[in-house]
Amino acid sequence: MVTRRTARFLALVSIVAVLATACGGGGGTKATATSSGGVTKGGTYRTAVEDFGFTGAFDPTGEYLGNAWGLYSDLLLRTLVTYKHIAGIPGDEIVPDIAASMPEVSADGLTYTFHLKKGVMFGPPLDREVTSADIEYAFERIATKSLAAQYGFYYEGTIEGLTTHGGPPKPISGIETPDDYTIIFHLTQPTGDLLYRLAMPATAPMPKEVAGCFLKAGDYGRYVVSSGPYMLNGEDQLDTSSCDTLKPISGFDPDKFMVFVRNPNYDASTDSPEVRANYVDGVVMTIDTNTADIFNKIQSGDLDGTSSATTMPPKAILQQYLTDPALKNNLHVDSGDRTWYITMNLLTPPFDDIHVRKAVNYVIDKQAIQKAWGGPVNGDIATSVEPPTVMPLTADYDPYPSANHAGDVTAAQNEMKQSKYDTNNDGKCDGSVCNNIIMVNRNYGAWLDMAPVIQDSLAEIGINITVRNLETGTAYTTIDTVDNLIPIASNAGWGKDYADPYTFAVLFDSSGISCTGAINYSNVGMSESQAKECGDSVLAAWNAVTNNGADPLPSVDDKAKECYALPLGDQRTQCWADFDKNIMENVVPWAPYLYATAPFVTADSVTKYEYDQFSGAISFCHIAVNNGLDPTQVPVG
Amino acid sequence: MGQYIVRRLLWVAFVLLLIVVITFLIFFVMPPTDPAVIFAGKQPTPELIAEVKRQFGLDRALPVQIVLFVKRVFLGDQYGWPGLGLSFNTRSALKPIILSRLLVTIQLALGAALVWVLLGIPIGILSALKPRSIFDRLAMGFALVGVSAPVFFLGPLFLYIFWFRFGLGGLGSGYYSIGQYGLGTWFTHFIGPWTVLALLYAAFYARMTRANLIETMAQDYIRTARAKGLSERRVVLKHGLRASLTPLVTMFGLDLGGLLGGAFITETVFNLKGIGAYAIKAVFSGDLYAIVDVTLIAGFFITFANLVVDIVYAFLDPRVRYS
Amino acid sequence: MPEPLLEVRDLRVHFPTEDGLVKAVDGVSFSLQPGETLGVVGESGSGKSVTFLTVMGLVTSDQAVIEGEVIFEGQDLLKLPKDEMRNIRGSKMSMVFQDPMTSLHPFYKVGYQIAEAILTHQSVGKKEAHEQSVEMLGRVGIPKPRERANQYPHEFSGGMRQRAMIAMALSLNPDMLIADEPTTALDVTVQAQILDLIDRLREEFNASVVIITHDLGVVAEHCDNIQVMYAGKIVEFGDRRDIYYGSHHPYTWGLLGSISRLDSASKERLQPIKGLPPSLIFVPPGCAFHPRCPYVFDRCRAEIPRLLPTDGHHASACHLTLSDKERIFNEEVMVRR
Repeated sequence: MVTRRTARFLALVSIVAVLATACGGGGGTKATATSSGGVTKGGTYRTAVEDFGFTGAFDPTGEYLGNAWGLYSDLLLRTLVTYKHIAGIPGDEIVPDIAASMPEVSADGLTYTFHLKKGVMFGPPLDREVTSADIEYAFERIATKSLAAQYGFYYEGTIEGLTTHGGPPKPISGIETPDDYTIIFHLTQPTGDLLYRLAMPATAPMPKEVAGCFLKAGDYGRYVVSSGPYMLNGEDQLDTSSCDTLKPISGFDPDKFMVFVRNPNYDASTDSPEVRANYVDGVVMTIDTNTADIFNKIQSGDLDGTSSATTMPPKAILQQYLTDPALKNNLHVDSGDRTWYITMNLLTPPFDDIHVRKAVNYVIDKQAIQKAWGGPVNGDIATSVEPPTVMPLTADYDPYPSANHAGDVTAAQNEMKQSKYDTNNDGKCDGSVCNNIIMVNRNYGAWLDMAPVIQDSLAEIGINITVRNLETGTAYTTIDTVDNLIPIASNAGWGKDYADPYTFAVLFDSSGISCTGAINYSNVGMSESQAKECGDSVLAAWNAVTNNGADPLPSVDDKAKECYALPLGDQRTQCWADFDKNIMENVVPWAPYLYATAPFVTADSVTKYEYDQFSGAISFCHIAVNNGLDPTQVPVG
Repeated sequence: MGQYIVRRLLWVAFVLLLIVVITFLIFFVMPPTDPAVIFAGKQPTPELIAEVKRQFGLDRALPVQIVLFVKRVFLGDQYGWPGLGLSFNTRSALKPIILSRLLVTIQLALGAALVWVLLGIPIGILSALKPRSIFDRLAMGFALVGVSAPVFFLGPLFLYIFWFRFGLGGLGSGYYSIGQYGLGTWFTHFIGPWTVLALLYAAFYARMTRANLIETMAQDYIRTARAKGLSERRVVLKHGLRASLTPLVTMFGLDLGGLLGGAFITETVFNLKGIGAYAIKAVFSGDLYAIVDVTLIAGFFITFANLVVDIVYAFLDPRVRYS
Repeated sequence: MPEPLLEVRDLRVHFPTEDGLVKAVDGVSFSLQPGETLGVVGESGSGKSVTFLTVMGLVTSDQAVIEGEVIFEGQDLLKLPKDEMRNIRGSKMSMVFQDPMTSLHPFYKVGYQIAEAILTHQSVGKKEAHEQSVEMLGRVGIPKPRERANQYPHEFSGGMRQRAMIAMALSLNPDMLIADEPTTALDVTVQAQILDLIDRLREEFNASVVIITHDLGVVAEHCDNIQVMYAGKIVEFGDRRDIYYGSHHPYTWGLLGSISRLDSASKERLQPIKGLPPSLIFVPPGCAFHPRCPYVFDRCRAEIPRLLPTDGHHASACHLTLSDKERIFNEEVMVRR
């Protein structure tokens, strides 16, 4: 038996031991930091996310996650053209990157010629220049079926000869590389927004000697060779003598962390500080499953800030940042270029009637929804399809106005009276189709809080919904499976892929309909053959609402095609603005309610904050920290 | 005994097979999410979905998938042995991820087990020897708190008090392996998870030990032991405790077995990359083979622990042997 | 007369409980000579077990209020420090209990349990102690003692278990062996064997033996003296002849009437004693037996009878006159038998 004295002594020893190690732990070795007028050069931006969430295992050919695009474009991969990686509309402007200047475009808009800069280098151990062949190889990979290029459709059917095929990468007839510094694209049709597509990471140069070893989707993600100002820590350790000697880069563990350090081969004179300032010495991103812990660590100084807009500060913490004067400057809110919306299915009554859909747009109390979301910090009220940062021309466009956006019940009911479902002219929906309507929603946070608001609003026009709260992925799969015939859903949001409204227009194109994995949830422009393909119930529903094809569903395909062909400029912009208005007034598949914001929280160590409008995440190449830490010394657990 | 063990092992194998089949049915057949769609990106074309499905092995009939899975577990796949398959999330082999996570969970479980045994059983013994004394009442009060306070309350509370308020950096969340960060850092970061996780069990074990020992000490053979003139210490430890520990040992085996399948709340709160947290991540991201693997491993630990516990019980209680 | 081995003077053992003070032993005095066999007879609750548990030091002042003296080999055991008492317990005096199945530890081998007793009191090696335990098992009549020593209690039959317990109790050659209901849990056929064994061993080991039982029949052939206890007191004391052929207490008469005999001619039913044993908290005033006594009169209800000897050896605690006692015995008790 341990005596009392011994027990007390042991307790004392353990407490001393704990204190000793505790006070000594944490952090890394301190290097010196230099500063110039507030903005400090050097140091490491330490951040954490709950999960990386990569859709393609960080293989640039397939990776579709916005945050990953930020990591590529800010840090890792240079492309023919890129953005300035800053906030707002200027952040969506295209500038040359590997290309020495903007391309020469032929008169018919079908040929784009780029001249490349000299001295744009791959990171160690490759130590060689990026050539046109490396860029062409990226497109070869996009066309390779086994690499599952998740946004390959931006290039297939646009670039001549680029069609997805089953074998290993092979040359594409529509891309010419007459010499190392020249690349020429031949298009099948005029594509006004081609430059946006050439800023996407899948088109970044890929060295065949490394990337060529990985022909299955996602595999290259652990071996990505840098062409940008930073590289993954340990890239220089790659043994490129053969495919078998390659081992995954140590600085990226998909389950735990990513560490970026400077690329020693990067020549800043081939770049511009406007595009990439590269203040920090590195970025360390770790996974922390405990969200509150992430914010605590930011406050305690163990982290320098968040990096993903999906790392939502819990309400209590958000309140702190909104009200505490010492913390206010550490909360940054920018436009997320994303719309949250309610989608209505044109195949399911009562939403097959356009008056009903217009009534829904009138009646929804968007002010209450914004409140349920936690106020303007989480979103601005949406009145059209695209956020103002994507489509500035419709910034003030509000086709269904109401006082304070709280909804106009009278106008809604007036609209209902014109619909075939208001049989007794009382402004409310009548009949069994108005009851027990399933609305798919998400099962957490703001969505749960917002559901009752929607329910109450719709009840004013006699539409009684049953809310189904589902987990995010499940909610999406449920509405993107056409034969579920979900009448109405509030779980969905859509963010741009790039700053041209075309990336929103696809939502209403009939090509966006597919029996599983659809994005045109409303089934705008669905044809009979499409309905047939998706099953008997879908065909029956289609027949019912179109009178067996006599009154086809509204379609915007032609209008979209028209705008698509126009080159970038005022004419194209106006075309898309009209397209948006047409959607909102003559098709009305949606009731958009919020434009998402991208809230980020930083610590006092951040001396310069910047937001990358393209990626919707922190602009890693423009932020600055004063912690002077060496990225290779930061503990990653 | 040998025959008995062989029979039990066959039963373990059968149960695990059943677990695999049921998990497949739940996650591959019934769920509304289709991982091929989720991992095909934002605007998947039907061809893309088909290609992803093929790469994930989801294009085959369910019985074929199950058979292939079982075959790979036993015979290994292209990533090694046992063949745990591919993670949809990271598109890389599951085996290294699962093994490294299992290592973390094992450290968590074993450490916590040590704490709760060293804490709970002595408290229970002392309580039993002095029933209704102040010590006993305090101890049982502590037990009540321990049993009632959930990990998701105690965990953040611990972090808040010791790491956030007192600023003891070494007690913060996260896993720091011995190899990379040294024994000290590894240890301090485990104090919180071990304590919080062990508290519930310690409380329970204290109560059980107390109850068992009180009952045991009332047995006739204790009177005989005293009648022989043995020291009270020997009577309590060799005669009393020895008999009352048997149910505790079996319970310990089962508790540890269950814990090795993952303490997901503790792991999430303290940001330990263990197998419990991985199970959650796998379920929410639709990483199907990861789900089956983790379920299989957890099932294995539990059924195996059952077997070990039964064998150990036979060693501890001679009345049970050869029956 | 040689010095008594054990002399108990006015022993009182009272247990404080929530319901009241349980007077388990309430003024018990007797002595035990070396080599003597004493039978202690009574119902449950008579105090017979508690008396000897207290003598052994298994009931201590932690649990009860103990008064009186227990002089064993010249020492008052009640005043001894616990450590010294432990030295005596198990070596100079030992006890065998009623149910050998529960009285032996189920998890340890029988040989080990015996050796444990030896190792506690003698400084010998483990092997030596094991050898001694094997030898003891042989001496109590267990065949193949070496094999048996390596077995567990549950592998023994009931009778063998009791023999093993006796072996354990005698392994240190005690001066006094107390057997508390040694045969109650055993078959009738085995009972006789065990009692014969105790007899034999008493001679071999030269020990005094106390047999505690509720069954007068058990002690008939094996005890020199018999003391009958009721409600914490001794109500009659005498030798074999005194008790069986001339007892002087109504309770003893009742016990005699409830013995079954194989040679009983009459087909009469056994005669149990009317009524139930008394509460030891609220002991009836006067003679504790009076509520159940067929011969009760007024004095019995008011005055506690003292244990008084009639002829220097035979003593009884009853207000009936000697002649009444003899008359009742001859007329009623003997007839019944």
